[in-house]
Amino acid sequence: MDDVQIIFILVYLLTILLSATKIVPMSVAAMIGALLAAWFGLLYGVFEYKEAFGFIDIRLLGLLLGVMIVVEVAEKSGLFRFGALYAVKVSGGNPRILFVSICVTSAIVSMFLSDPTAMLLIAAAMATITRLLRYDPVPYFISAMIMINLGGTSTLIGSVSNMIIGVQAGMSFTNFIGYLAICEVCLWAITIFVLYMLFKSRLGEKRKLPEYNPWESVEDKKLFYRSILILILMVGLFLTLENLGVGPEAVALGCAILALALSGSDPAEIFKKLDWETIFFIAGFMFLVGGLGRTGILSDISTQLFQSVGQTQLGATLSTLWFSGLASTAVSNIAIALTFSPIINGVSGLGSAAVWSALVLGTNLGGATTPLSGAVIMMGIGALKREGISLSFAEFTKVGIITSLIQLGFASFYLVVRFNLWT
Amino acid sequence: MDVNNLVKKWIESRDIKPESDYEEAKRKFEMAMGKPFITIRLEIPTGFEGFNNEFLKLENDQQFHEEVKDLIKKRLLLDSRRKKSS
Repeated sequence: MDDVQIIFILVYLLTILLSATKIVPMSVAAMIGALLAAWFGLLYGVFEYKEAFGFIDIRLLGLLLGVMIVVEVAEKSGLFRFGALYAVKVSGGNPRILFVSICVTSAIVSMFLSDPTAMLLIAAAMATITRLLRYDPVPYFISAMIMINLGGTSTLIGSVSNMIIGVQAGMSFTNFIGYLAICEVCLWAITIFVLYMLFKSRLGEKRKLPEYNPWESVEDKKLFYRSILILILMVGLFLTLENLGVGPEAVALGCAILALALSGSDPAEIFKKLDWETIFFIAGFMFLVGGLGRTGILSDISTQLFQSVGQTQLGATLSTLWFSGLASTAVSNIAIALTFSPIINGVSGLGSAAVWSALVLGTNLGGATTPLSGAVIMMGIGALKREGISLSFAEFTKVGIITSLIQLGFASFYLVVRFNLWT
Repeated sequence: MDVNNLVKKWIESRDIKPESDYEEAKRKFEMAMGKPFITIRLEIPTGFEGFNNEFLKLENDQQFHEEVKDLIKKRLLLDSRRKKSS
């Protein structure tokens, strides 16, 4: 390893440390990393000024922005709040049905919304219903946090790390579903069952649900229906236009323009609510990883990794799954996805559908192991605290470790069977 | 401040959505599922500045809350009678 590689690794570790400890906001940490990478890269002739612009993948940022705008318009219409209210209503006050209903709704909502936004919505719904029915909120909150993390794994647009991996791997919306849909359905069912078994004694007794009509929460029905139409259109176009060579970023941006035009909302209001912190974090981190790649360190790591697992797909897939899973318990899964993608791309034998699928599962499933694994967990704990309940680090981690290990264990089994890795 | 408190404070600082967003989201659910409610910001009437403490205590005064509820009942009944007659 030469001096330049060591400098870039130190810059990378500094960025990870700054963003994980939140000494500065995540976006600022990534931009400091990018600035240092640019400085040292140009100083030592690792790359040229013109080349550096290519480190930031515009397609990924386009996909991210497009999806964020469409979802923001849908959220403004009250669509997701309506879904949560409806999910509570169908339970009829039965705590077991309510529990399953909240788990499924949390996962579905997080397939579209970013995890923090989904948590905000579900936490608000749960705080209200558990107070009205006098239930212990802890089992419902912990289960929702874990299901929100899991729900984001389910589609190409379900989480930021999925979008990163999808774009880097050239994985289409259909590929994603084809590789992972069965696994996701099983993971949802297994996780809900495990959570139910862990919490069944704490769910409470059947109580009368207050009378309410979820439709009354929808302020603008026209916008509500339009949002549903645009979401259906977006998924439909993701599935059909890929055959014509149109990338998901073009579909997402096209639908975003349509959503802005049809919503009648002030675009400035929508733009203000976008998750700029994540966008700038990704841009900065992409630049840093791009610079790191130019030093040759990432391809060295990929070659050594592939050799260390015996140059087999089975070894490469399982080590990617477990390593990314364990790493994302402590480090942002966006950073893990951005770092692992060039490593997987670095060796021709490594970039198979099985390894990319393992990366999708690993980066997502590790995200709800401890309160430090993801922002969504801290938000859930913060919301509980506002309701006067203190959830300890150990109490969440006990459940998080069990569910993450079961999920990663099942994912290992699924990948081996789905991609025929024994042969 | 001991290390435990520092770690606790650091962990809590990772909660990224502000409290106001959560309260706003919760309010919407409470309005939909529970009894509707209103929140009014009332300033101390001019000329009563000397009653600052007494005024602030009204926020948690149950008898005062009942008096306001009676006022709301009267107002709603009056409004409905007016609508019927017009």
